[in-house]
Amino acid sequence: MKKVQFKSNYSQYFFLAPQLGILLIFLYWPIIQTFRDAFTMQDAFGFGRQFVWFDNFLFIFDDPAYFIAFKFTIIYSFVITLVTGAIGLLLAVNANNVMHGKSAYKTLLIWPYAIAPAVVGVMANYFFSERFGLLYHLFNDLWGFNWYESVFDSYIYLLIAGSWKQISANFIFFLAGLQAIQKSVIEASIIDCKSSFRRFWTITFPLLMPTTFFLIIINITYAFFDTFGIIDTTTIGAPSGETRTLVYKAYMDGFRGLDLGSAGAQSIMMMLIVLVITIFQFRYIEGKIHYN
Amino acid sequence: MKKILSVLTILFTFSFTSHSYSKTEIHWWYGNSGFLGDVIIEIANRFNASQDEYTVIPTGKGSYEDNMAATIAAFRAGDQPHYSQVYDAGAAIMVAQVKNGVVIGFEDMAEKYGIKVDADNYIPGIKNFYADSDGKMIGVPFNSSTCLMYANMDILKEVGIESVPKTYEEFEAMAPKIKAAGYIPLVQSHSPWIWTENFFSRHNLLMTDGNNGYDAVPTKTLFAETDAFVYHWKKVKEWYEKGLYAYKGRAWGDNQAPFIAGEAAFWFGSAASFGGMKGVVPNFTVNHIPYWDSVTGGKEYPTFIGGAANWILNGHTEEEYKGLAKFIEFMGSPEMDLYYHNMTGYSAVTKGGIELAETINFYRASPYHKAVGEQLSLEGSTIPGGYRAGNWPQIREVIYENVEPMLNGKISIEKGLKNMDKGAAKLLKQFAKTL
Repeated sequence: MKKVQFKSNYSQYFFLAPQLGILLIFLYWPIIQTFRDAFTMQDAFGFGRQFVWFDNFLFIFDDPAYFIAFKFTIIYSFVITLVTGAIGLLLAVNANNVMHGKSAYKTLLIWPYAIAPAVVGVMANYFFSERFGLLYHLFNDLWGFNWYESVFDSYIYLLIAGSWKQISANFIFFLAGLQAIQKSVIEASIIDCKSSFRRFWTITFPLLMPTTFFLIIINITYAFFDTFGIIDTTTIGAPSGETRTLVYKAYMDGFRGLDLGSAGAQSIMMMLIVLVITIFQFRYIEGKIHYN
Repeated sequence: MKKILSVLTILFTFSFTSHSYSKTEIHWWYGNSGFLGDVIIEIANRFNASQDEYTVIPTGKGSYEDNMAATIAAFRAGDQPHYSQVYDAGAAIMVAQVKNGVVIGFEDMAEKYGIKVDADNYIPGIKNFYADSDGKMIGVPFNSSTCLMYANMDILKEVGIESVPKTYEEFEAMAPKIKAAGYIPLVQSHSPWIWTENFFSRHNLLMTDGNNGYDAVPTKTLFAETDAFVYHWKKVKEWYEKGLYAYKGRAWGDNQAPFIAGEAAFWFGSAASFGGMKGVVPNFTVNHIPYWDSVTGGKEYPTFIGGAANWILNGHTEEEYKGLAKFIEFMGSPEMDLYYHNMTGYSAVTKGGIELAETINFYRASPYHKAVGEQLSLEGSTIPGGYRAGNWPQIREVIYENVEPMLNGKISIEKGLKNMDKGAAKLLKQFAKTL
């Protein structure tokens, strides 16, 4: 067999350089900066920087608002993942079974995915405005809904605002997953089992597990990081900071409060949390998945 | 023919570009939007039309907070504007930056470039708010407001109330009547600003130790230990429960909306809301914010200045600062000061502007422009005319975080105010470390 290899020992670095450059500038450099901020204290304009060891970390652990943000982030990402996954799957299964106008359904269901979170937030604002919001008044008639006073109601507000767009993402991937399942497997199962409900849970869903696993990670990442724009255009953390995600809190402290030390420490905590979640997922969940 | 045309075109283009490049550009960043932003652009346009050496380029960066963050980020990247609008809560941070060479103090600038509108030209109360601890002016006073009470006179007439309340006691007495007629008696747009910072100044009480930060770097706020403040919030909660005061979340506009829609009798907001409300709300008056008669013993004290000042940033050329000096002079002229006062409802900030207003009988034609200046220049206060407390934007957050659970009864007033003190003390301590 003929071996293909470059003569020079350096040309590979040349070809790698653009990509490495991008990684260094946009990924590693900010990470180094974040570490520097997290272990130092400085004024808003970057003067008087001094090394303070773990003071910034102690500062955030001493802050009840940080734990409220932590709690909200966990609840929010769990609920978003569950709700968007379930609805996305339901829509995908049904759209997959449609005989006529299949592509029209698909296109319409995919559309919201293209909308920026901040725009979703502004739209949700209209629905939940006390003055002219349709959903505000519907819920208000039902149980006295008032999102800027009740924590539960503000959760509902953000759940609806945050999951709408993400349902589309789940829909696309589940649909692609469904279409990737071999026809022969489905046909064989139809011969063996009459109940379509049982067929779905014993054959189709296990075959969709790789997609589901992928979407769980995507959804958690979405709830952690991308909901920032939605929160900033809807509740802004009301009531009393109960609806701030960790990212939003880091932003508020860093850019509004101009305390880069605390924001840096929060970013590192977030890095650790994501690391733990990812390790957990790959260790304990991925092992139970059968790839085709 | 074709040739001549193309030569002409080239000549024209050349003359055009060389013309625009010969002007020195001065960048002015601001944090107002909507109507107030339009007025800022108009000010720059008028300056640009008044002379042809310099061009002021105004750039809106969103809200006050956005503009401050943008200015700081730009400075750290070495790309700062010449002139930037920073709000009251950021004043301590900006004043502290003179020693680092970020900010050029107004008085130094005026001396060096011979700005004719010197420090004495500005109204004392406003001047001191943006001065350092020695009384030297650092920020250039610009949009200076304070909190005022807007009243819907049609509603008051309907329920048979003749005059607006001067004190909270009077408000308390008339509010049930207004509610009985189906209106919201009171809405209010900014609890940390109106019912915290300005509550203290309105009642001549110190808000932090270190004489509001003027004598020493403050270490704590005095919320829970000030009996009058505890009393006030207990009353607010009582009004809230009885439906005499309605809270509509944190957004400024959401709290203002019921007043604009004619559903609320009184709204506490900024003097600057006046310009935008003219013609939208039919019959309203602008009045001093109430005070507790029982706290001050019938005396009325001034409130703090709200709004923002413009700050001169370091790192540009002599030529550009000369232009900026001209622009500051232009903005400080009586005519421009009165123009801005008239358009927006912000206070006139120069003595010249107020004199001009008196000469042309401006306040007879528009009496409601007077409330802001009047309330700010009330005398007899024994506390400083401002507060020098760092990390104040975050402390305002802490205040908001506790206002909501205090109102909905999740925590008691005492607990809420103690939480505010605790959160504020931590942030003040954090700020002191960076000095």
